[in-house]
Amino acid sequence: AAAAAGCLRRAGWRLWRGRAVVRWQLYPSQRALQTSATLWRASNEHKKEQFATTSQQHFDSHPADPQPEQEPQHSHPSYTGQGGQESEDYESEEQLQHRILTAALEFVPEHGWTAEAIAEGAKTLGLSVAAAGIFHSDGSDLILHFVSQCNTKLSELLEQEQKRVQLGEAEKKPTDQFLRDAVEARLRMVVPYIEKWPQALSILLLPRNIPSSLNLLTSMIDDIWHYAGDQSTDFNWYTRRAVLTGIYNTTELVMMQDSSPDFEDTWRFLENRVADAMNMSDTANQVQSTGEAVVQGLMGAAVTV
Amino acid sequence: AAGLCAYRVLLLRCGGALRTLRGCVRGLAAGPETHFGFQTVTEEERRDKIYQVFESVAKKYDVMNDSMSLGIHRVWKDILMHKMNPSPGTMLLDVAGGTGDIAFRFINYVRSVRERQLQRKLKHHQNLSWQEIAESYREDKLRSHGDSQVVVCDINREMLKVGKQKAQHLGYSEGLSWVLGNAEELPFDDDKFDVYTIAFGIRNVTRIDLALQEAYRVLKPGGRFLCLEFSHVSNPLLSRLYDLYSFQVIPVLGEVIAGDWKSYQYLVESIRRFPPQEELKAMIEDAGFLKVDYQNLNWGIVAIHSGFKL
Repeated sequence: AAAAAGCLRRAGWRLWRGRAVVRWQLYPSQRALQTSATLWRASNEHKKEQFATTSQQHFDSHPADPQPEQEPQHSHPSYTGQGGQESEDYESEEQLQHRILTAALEFVPEHGWTAEAIAEGAKTLGLSVAAAGIFHSDGSDLILHFVSQCNTKLSELLEQEQKRVQLGEAEKKPTDQFLRDAVEARLRMVVPYIEKWPQALSILLLPRNIPSSLNLLTSMIDDIWHYAGDQSTDFNWYTRRAVLTGIYNTTELVMMQDSSPDFEDTWRFLENRVADAMNMSDTANQVQSTGEAVVQGLMGAAVTV
Repeated sequence: AAGLCAYRVLLLRCGGALRTLRGCVRGLAAGPETHFGFQTVTEEERRDKIYQVFESVAKKYDVMNDSMSLGIHRVWKDILMHKMNPSPGTMLLDVAGGTGDIAFRFINYVRSVRERQLQRKLKHHQNLSWQEIAESYREDKLRSHGDSQVVVCDINREMLKVGKQKAQHLGYSEGLSWVLGNAEELPFDDDKFDVYTIAFGIRNVTRIDLALQEAYRVLKPGGRFLCLEFSHVSNPLLSRLYDLYSFQVIPVLGEVIAGDWKSYQYLVESIRRFPPQEELKAMIEDAGFLKVDYQNLNWGIVAIHSGFKL
């Protein structure tokens, strides 16, 4: 039975690939051949990096993919070699773009978040510097790529922690501690690029980039609250996220001009803000109950009078 | 004698028939039919006619460009350069670049980028010794354009001549070379250039698909193809005004300024015969380019197509 299931799975998979092969054969133009040839060459030269890209595929399905990808009909004909073995001999345009942007990150401390850094990155991959023209000239694609990468890393960290708690290897943290650790972990990822990070923030605030950067920010905050165990279905959902977004943004700004060793001042600021937020929720509850009591008293007074 | 007369008449008629037959065969040898403006000609005839057009307009080319487009062509070319955003060290091939407009803009752009880079570097290195400062100045003078090179390739000798004169007049000498060549068969090796541009030239190429394939061949992997060309206006009102201007005003300007009505009649007709944006985009994709896109300037009067060799 297991063998049969395996057979069925393989057949279904081959059918799916077959569909792609048929599509490929329907467009037998030179273009498809040349496409696969060039990308195949490029991907073969950096076979090791292929493993890196699979982890990046993770955030391809991320709701906030900064690359507005279109043209599914031009992708990326599957190439089945002998014996129906699938060979990932090609990579899609998107994967190539991710590789270029990842390679460009190491030039950011020197060139900033600019098209020059992307051009240098493309050069290390063996492509011409003109490949930087694929991306927008203000460097926003590079920044969004980096932010997306950081968010993915954060999600993975939080997931691992959750698994450890489930397996009983670690204790479940109280909410404020959890939030502090999550925000700190996320902000620490920015530290290698901290000199040029103000530039990145200003680019992310350009009207053109606000939709994508806001998207990434909200999904990250959502992630953190999800792993913190938030299951609210009322208006609390919004207030919690708004509060955490505020905490995150202000802490980030504090970190920009923090010169203390290992950013101690920033983490202390973060601690205070999270404590404030916790107090605020208690205060809000108190205010609500006091308010209810006051209203009842007044109603009673009105009835008696 | 009458018999001889009849015989001669017969021969003449045969000769006439033979001549038309020969003409047919020659026509087949000269290549399939194509268009020259609104006329139908063979491919060879088209190449010759276009060569003659540009030979005659070469001297007044820039003046005519300014008067026909009211100077807006400069803005179009600047936008093309801005879109290219070349970094220092880029190798540019400007095909059909005759009088060198794109080449000069490229050199200016790269020079200013380089200056900005050097300024930034100097700001960083505030605590240099005098020795290091002197060394950096020496290094900078040698490479003020930052190793960038532009090769201007044109099929027309007259246009190249005008371009060389302009370069000398404006003082461009480093990193610039002039090559006589046909866009359908470029005299360059594979994988040589970072960027390939063809500004207002692809319309005059007889076999556009061959030119695109050549572009693909000479570009490095990751290289960029940029095409600036007159294109299709979809807005009906604007299209009417544009047609009116093209057919009534431009040939007249041509006659008045350059003394050549026919060449400018050819110009406006060739614009109408050129494939619209989507079709050109498909042709570029067929040549193998990826991420092909176009940007309309002035609602489609001009379009910049861009593609990458990935």
